[in-house]
Amino acid sequence: MKRSLTLFLLMIIAVFGVGFAQAQDDAVITPQACAEGGTLTMRVWDENWAVVIQQAIDLWKAEYCPEGDVVLEVVPWGQYWDLLRNNAAAGDLPDIFNISQDRFPFYRDNEAILNMQPYFDAASIDTTLWGSGMVDPYRVEGDLYAAPVNWDTIAIFYNVDMYEAAGLELPTDDWTWDDFAEDARALTNAEADVYGAAVYSEFQAGYPNWIAATGTEPIVDAARTECTLDNEGSLEALNFLNGLYTEGVMPSISTLGGTSADDAFNFWLSQRVAMVSGGSWKLPAAFEQTTFNWDVVQLPRNPETERSRSILHSVGYVAAANTDLPDLAANFIVFLASDEGQRFFAEAGGVAPANPGLQDEWVAAFDSEKNIQAFVNATVDSQGVTIFSELGDVPNELVINIFDLNMPVEEAVSQACATIDEALAGQ
Amino acid sequence: MATRTSKLSTTTPASGRAWRWLGATPMARRRALWGIALVAPNVLGLLFFFGIPVVMAFVTSLTEWSGFANRPPVFVGLENFTRLLGDGDFWQALGVTTSLLLLTVPVGMALALGVALLLNQKLQGRAIFRTIYFLPVITSTVAATVVWTWIFQPRYGLVSAALAPFGLGDLNWLTRPDLILIPVAVVVIWQRLGFDMILFLAGLQNIPRPLYEAATIDGASGWQRFRFITLPLLSPTTFLIGVLATIGAFQIFDQVYIMTARTTRGGVGGSATTLPLLLYETAFTESELGYASAIALALFLLTLGVTLIQLRLQRRWVYYESGAT
Repeated sequence: MKRSLTLFLLMIIAVFGVGFAQAQDDAVITPQACAEGGTLTMRVWDENWAVVIQQAIDLWKAEYCPEGDVVLEVVPWGQYWDLLRNNAAAGDLPDIFNISQDRFPFYRDNEAILNMQPYFDAASIDTTLWGSGMVDPYRVEGDLYAAPVNWDTIAIFYNVDMYEAAGLELPTDDWTWDDFAEDARALTNAEADVYGAAVYSEFQAGYPNWIAATGTEPIVDAARTECTLDNEGSLEALNFLNGLYTEGVMPSISTLGGTSADDAFNFWLSQRVAMVSGGSWKLPAAFEQTTFNWDVVQLPRNPETERSRSILHSVGYVAAANTDLPDLAANFIVFLASDEGQRFFAEAGGVAPANPGLQDEWVAAFDSEKNIQAFVNATVDSQGVTIFSELGDVPNELVINIFDLNMPVEEAVSQACATIDEALAGQ
Repeated sequence: MATRTSKLSTTTPASGRAWRWLGATPMARRRALWGIALVAPNVLGLLFFFGIPVVMAFVTSLTEWSGFANRPPVFVGLENFTRLLGDGDFWQALGVTTSLLLLTVPVGMALALGVALLLNQKLQGRAIFRTIYFLPVITSTVAATVVWTWIFQPRYGLVSAALAPFGLGDLNWLTRPDLILIPVAVVVIWQRLGFDMILFLAGLQNIPRPLYEAATIDGASGWQRFRFITLPLLSPTTFLIGVLATIGAFQIFDQVYIMTARTTRGGVGGSATTLPLLLYETAFTESELGYASAIALALFLLTLGVTLIQLRLQRRWVYYESGAT
């Protein structure tokens, strides 16, 4: 079985090989030889990434920059941002580091990050080759400050066994909010304490996806000038979700045990809910920890806009504005973003590489017949992260007010917007 | 050091005058110098790791700074302090801190005294009970608070199960703004109990037995012995615990941070945001280091003020056996 599958995959690769090479020629980011030598410091928070990036460093040194070197340091997520802040206070940031979309504005506003646009231009890289959700949050006045490392999108993980037990047809990528609601109701079994869906938790995996599907930028507009939660689209999405919650189709925060998307996902793993919205980073957990049949499907489409829009987050590589070696740092970042630099991520599986030429390889690395492609398809019409760290926990508070304390949507929204407007004014 | 002190002891009268503040005789000066040498490492450490940051906090509180070296602090004078007076979040946090103080200090002290009285009697396995009550003190606050969070979990938690027969099994302890301070106070009290109990026990054992015997012979009831012997003679201990518990209440941070970590930090609408948590959020979420320093100073002054008031009030009710005040 395994061998035949491998054979099948080989055939696919053979058939698509030509197209693949073609795609690479189109989308290629070609690394350049470095003009100067020197040693760069680099910091990441993920151990697994560090292994992959180290491979890329070795290749860069061997092929493009024999005089250059990169000292890679891993600082775990729990300490990463505190340490970075300390470095910023001391004026001693690493030359290159990973950053998230919600933290970028703070560092950028404090002029701590190098503008990469001149370097992308010099390397003739058209920065629109990356999906908008990947790079828009890293743009300032049109200039791109980061090279995206990866992407995460959101899809619905569903319990196939429960679908079959309820005699329902399995969902397909063209399903709508109405189909979703219908399925969720049918899958709810109050007596067995089983819920139909849990899809509102947290910014990235939760309600903002539904707001985005209406065509509204969730929570804050991209220009960071106004709270969008009281817009028509936001209210439509929140009222839709609140309807399912009040019907008893979705559990409360207290039932889930917390506002984190992980709480909802664990609820799904323990078969207490049939459908959960989860990120592509949850695929390894789903493969390892499920004891039932499952699959994934794209988020349902809003009936009016007919759009399924996933929040997309992309970690970025950035260089410190005050680095002693800006040209070398930029040269290495361009290499990391190139097909050669990103290939190691695609081969390692798990982390989806930002480079558009490598998506098929990423899907194939899972070696599974599940609908992993749904996550790739979700990148096409995607929404980048609009919140920023100074907003604090406001997006979570909204969830608690609606989905735990049963506050009317309009009231919860106006409360949240008051706090958000204050934060926007204080910028 | 030895050579230094021996030189000192044989100094000429002229230079000796310069060292006179250390003591009247060479011998006294030498002893004083030894004392200074012995406390120096500790004092220097304190100055370095505590004094400098405190001075920096004072200076930072007069500036606006986002914490980036490439964007130096901007001097704004007392602006941060005037802003503090008009900041609703500050007053709310002060209210939360005060509520927690009133919830935890009296109840916690009464419970600690009760337990101390129980464990001061001749009781089988007394040492074991004392150890058990002291355990929370040496338990990691974070680990203990996580467990308490489970206990207060609305649907599957122990508290809900216990209250279910009274129709109160469905209270959202950790999200409702009107309830959140109760679980926080419970954890704070639970964790302080053992420490206060040990202090009370020590105080109880300092009360001379003959006083009780004399009172019993004079026909005093158990309550009268407690009211007129135990309480007055225990008052120095009660005072000490009161001051320590009050200062502790002003510093409540980790319990709230952990208990609200899985929902929303500081409770919905800041309902559990204490002053230290507000300070933390201002500094590290909102990145306003100058304003956060101003909050820190306000917290310091409040704690100092309340402690001074307590010190002043102690003359009215604290009884020192030796007559010292």
